Amino acid sequence: MRRPSVSGIIAEFDRPEALIEAAQRVQEAGYTKVDAFSPFPLTKVNEILGYKPSWFPYVPLAAAIVGGAVQYFAQYWMNVIDYPINVGGRPLHSWPPFLPSMIIVAILWAGVTTFLILLFAARLPRLNHPVFAVPDFERASQDRFFIWIRADDPLFDLEETSRLLTALNPQALREVPG
Amino acid sequence: MAHETQASAAPIADVPLSPSFGWGWTIALLLSGILVVLLAYALIMLLLVGTGLWGTNIPFVWGFDLINYAWWIGIANGATLVASILVLRKHDLRTAVNRFAEAVSLFGVICAGIFPIFHLGKPWLFYWVFPLPYTFEVWPQFRSSLTWDFWAISTHAIMTAMLWYTGLIPDLATLRDRAATHRCRKVFGFFALGWRGSARHWAYHQTAYRIIAILMLPLILVMQSVVSLEHAVMLPPGWHQSSQPLYYIASGLAQGIAAVLLIAVLLRRLLGLERYIDDGDVQLMAKLVASSGLIIAYVYTSWILLSLLSSDAVRAATVARLNGTYAAFFWSSLVLMALVPQLLWIPRIRNSFWGTVLVALAAIVGVWLDRFSIMIGGLEKRYLPWGYDLYWPTTPEWFLLAGTAGLFTGQLLLFARYLPVVSMYETRHDEHLVEGR
Repeated sequence: MRRPSVSGIIAEFDRPEALIEAAQRVQEAGYTKVDAFSPFPLTKVNEILGYKPSWFPYVPLAAAIVGGAVQYFAQYWMNVIDYPINVGGRPLHSWPPFLPSMIIVAILWAGVTTFLILLFAARLPRLNHPVFAVPDFERASQDRFFIWIRADDPLFDLEETSRLLTALNPQALREVPG
Repeated sequence: MAHETQASAAPIADVPLSPSFGWGWTIALLLSGILVVLLAYALIMLLLVGTGLWGTNIPFVWGFDLINYAWWIGIANGATLVASILVLRKHDLRTAVNRFAEAVSLFGVICAGIFPIFHLGKPWLFYWVFPLPYTFEVWPQFRSSLTWDFWAISTHAIMTAMLWYTGLIPDLATLRDRAATHRCRKVFGFFALGWRGSARHWAYHQTAYRIIAILMLPLILVMQSVVSLEHAVMLPPGWHQSSQPLYYIASGLAQGIAAVLLIAVLLRRLLGLERYIDDGDVQLMAKLVASSGLIIAYVYTSWILLSLLSSDAVRAATVARLNGTYAAFFWSSLVLMALVPQLLWIPRIRNSFWGTVLVALAAIVGVWLDRFSIMIGGLEKRYLPWGYDLYWPTTPEWFLLAGTAGLFTGQLLLFARYLPVVSMYETRHDEHLVEGR
């Protein structure tokens, strides 16, 4: 019988501190393709695993500047150049009324960009994923903490990796089906 | 310990997942459904007959349409302000309040958004404010406040929806994982987008949530001040002070905080969530409502003094507002917005269910009366020897107010029934931090 393919090993813990310690150990052992799962954000785990999206806020900022410029010059082009409306001889380029929607649309561009980056960077939506097949994984969104060493990690070895994770004294150690 | 963590957030998840919810909820939903039918009736009649159904006429060009718009948008903005500041400050109150403050804000925008479309006269042409090259290639007039409304409301609706939904994704995943039936799991799972709570997810989620919350702050300030800018671009005296935006911001935010307090008190009583929205949270919000009443008192006083010191035309318009036909609206709004909330400084009133409910309602009604006083009372002073009719709302206009109130309540009821009203992952996070101390 052919052995079912494995996409990694997942260890389950019942305390957030255990997960932080596990992440630290796995990191020290040199594994790079590691992911941790927790029911609430654990800043320490993010730091250990190297998820520090410090570039993130600059992208919405750039989007806001581009969006505001597009909105302002679109209004300018439409109301001054392409279809000028003369209201009582007032100047065509009356910039103050162009400002409210410029500010608002700049915020809209920044907000939508933020949300799209979130989806893109978190690789969502993805309704199906190998870890969902792990028994008990539904508690990752409630009260359990998991660490997953992926099979495509250069250091991954079924027995070696299992030994490392067993030493951390997890509640359970399971193979993630491929 | 782990089981305690699970037990801690479980009662919140049990509400949306329970198969039945009691007859009180059904009756409340039916009642708000009836009000929504009234709203639909008022809007359909408006499409068929036109704005002649309303009591508006020269010089009272605005009636309930703009009063209700400014009122609902104020509720939305105030609730948004509370929610975003709590996210940014990482205040303890955030866990208890944020989720439904964001919901209040979203539902408020939906109610507000109805009015600018339907007050157009030809609502079916509303898309003309959007710069589409129509067959005759006429571009919209961007100097018109109608186009500002279009961008402002659509942006506000998208942004509040994103703030609310971003915070909701991890909790939808919990509901997916706790769901008992297959259908339930499918629906929640679809909206959870496959959230796994991985370190990568959390890192980006927390940053994105905070960025969207930061973006809400300038947005709501612009929203409230654009309402006053829309007054300022018109001719009537008394609508042009540069302090007017502040006036709208102060009263709108007070009303939003009062709405959040009201719903907090009702939710924790009706859903039994005293543990999550605790006495400390309610006390803090009650004090916020009282303090914003003080700010309103200050802004009002300075407005009256400044107006009386202004030009003759402004003084005449102000006196007409303070002492004319609609003076009762002004003075009762002042009492309800500024003075009644001061009762919340008294611990006995602050601690009682009915005390907070009634005071919060008073503040919300007070702001509505204030919007009436600005839009109607502000136009009472005439400058031409004709047009002496006064404005009084007609039945279809009352239907609009009652209908949007029903729409708002109905949305809140559905939200309280089908979604977690308190952020579950924040609750877990808080308990983890408490344990760590």
